[in-house]
Amino acid sequence: MRKLLIALGLTSALLAFAGTSADAPKPSASTAISSNRAVHERWMTEGEKRYRANCSRCHQPPHKFPPGVMAMAVRHMRVRAMLTDEDTKYVLYYMTH
Amino acid sequence: MQKVFPIILCLSLACLAQQDVTPPPLTSDAKPVPVLSGYAAFVPTWDGGSPTLVSIISPVLLVPLSSNLVFESRGAFEGDFQRRNGTSGDFTGAIQKSLDYAEIDYIGNPFVTITAGRFLTPFNLFNERFYPNWIRNTQTDPLILPIGTGSDDGIMLRGAAPLSPKVNFNYAAYFSTLSTADYFQSERHAGIRLGAFLPRERLEFGISAQHQLQDSRLTRYGLHLEWQPPQLPLDIRAEAALSHQEGNGFWLEGAYRLMGARQAVLRRIQLVGRTQLFQIGHIPGTNPDVPFVDTQRTEFGVNYYLNDGWKALASYGRTFTAAGDSNIWTVGMTYRFVFPLGPRP
Repeated sequence: MRKLLIALGLTSALLAFAGTSADAPKPSASTAISSNRAVHERWMTEGEKRYRANCSRCHQPPHKFPPGVMAMAVRHMRVRAMLTDEDTKYVLYYMTH
Repeated sequence: MQKVFPIILCLSLACLAQQDVTPPPLTSDAKPVPVLSGYAAFVPTWDGGSPTLVSIISPVLLVPLSSNLVFESRGAFEGDFQRRNGTSGDFTGAIQKSLDYAEIDYIGNPFVTITAGRFLTPFNLFNERFYPNWIRNTQTDPLILPIGTGSDDGIMLRGAAPLSPKVNFNYAAYFSTLSTADYFQSERHAGIRLGAFLPRERLEFGISAQHQLQDSRLTRYGLHLEWQPPQLPLDIRAEAALSHQEGNGFWLEGAYRLMGARQAVLRRIQLVGRTQLFQIGHIPGTNPDVPFVDTQRTEFGVNYYLNDGWKALASYGRTFTAAGDSNIWTVGMTYRFVFPLGPRP
């Protein structure tokens, strides 16, 4: 049991801090969004695809909620429904635009 | 069980090595706000002729504590009101209160979330994902649900990562402690769930293992599968649970939404069928919540989605056991609600 706890602790410490937030993509300025229509469209398409692939697996696809609610719901689903980091970003982008 | 953690470590490190996955060039600047969500359900059930008025209110509280820290909790107030004399008399019963989870999630990096507190036991999928009445396609609990599920107090590592554009890997590993405190009852467990999701096929499958570190120190295994064929409005879900002492069983469910119907009113209908089998274990009574005789049950139902929040439902099923066969009927409504508690942008 002690080995189990040590392994769990070490694994959590190693993995939690191995990839820090410095690796995460930096939010772009909102002006970049409007200036890059093609990229925006591509991300909307990819976001919708991932939304349909992930959200409707468990429940009926919900309507869009206000952005703050959507940001919270997506974070909740990341944990509950095991969405990948990439999926959460795409889905949130799609659901808030 | 102790051998699985090095495996997780290796797999997770492999995921970390994939840091070159192209990050989204655009991100939403939406800031999360506290949310009160949840559902209410009223599902009268007639099992073997005895009616039970199942009434549930289950609030979910989500609070963002920082950019990578979240508090989430779900409670339930459930009243299972039954006739005083079985099939006659007035309905009576107490309101049961429970705390399903109250946990802090630390999103350490893209591939690891550390969860501490009281959490839903990640054994198979139903307990974590399909349990709420507004989500489940068939309202009665699967016969194998009491095996390995419920809530545990402890710590958990979980996460998901793309192994390739075609495969996402996910895992949950946990350790829980014994607790007999009110609303925080927990057993001492060590367990793991590993899964793979194929986004293009919309197919997810995986395995679970759990070792009980108290009492009879039994070990349970689980298998889960979920498939939504991309070309069909069809949900296929299946789970199996294996426990030498408690019993073995599986359930298989299909739900077809009439999305191809011409009339809008018909497109709101979902037809559901589920069959399940349970064989008792070698030590009857180990788990008092599973059937005490070998049981087979098949159910058919219909769900009607009135709108985003409301769902009406009805189902009929037949239970076959050596002790006698019986019918099980359900009819009812569920309602899912979402209220922001923070300022609206």
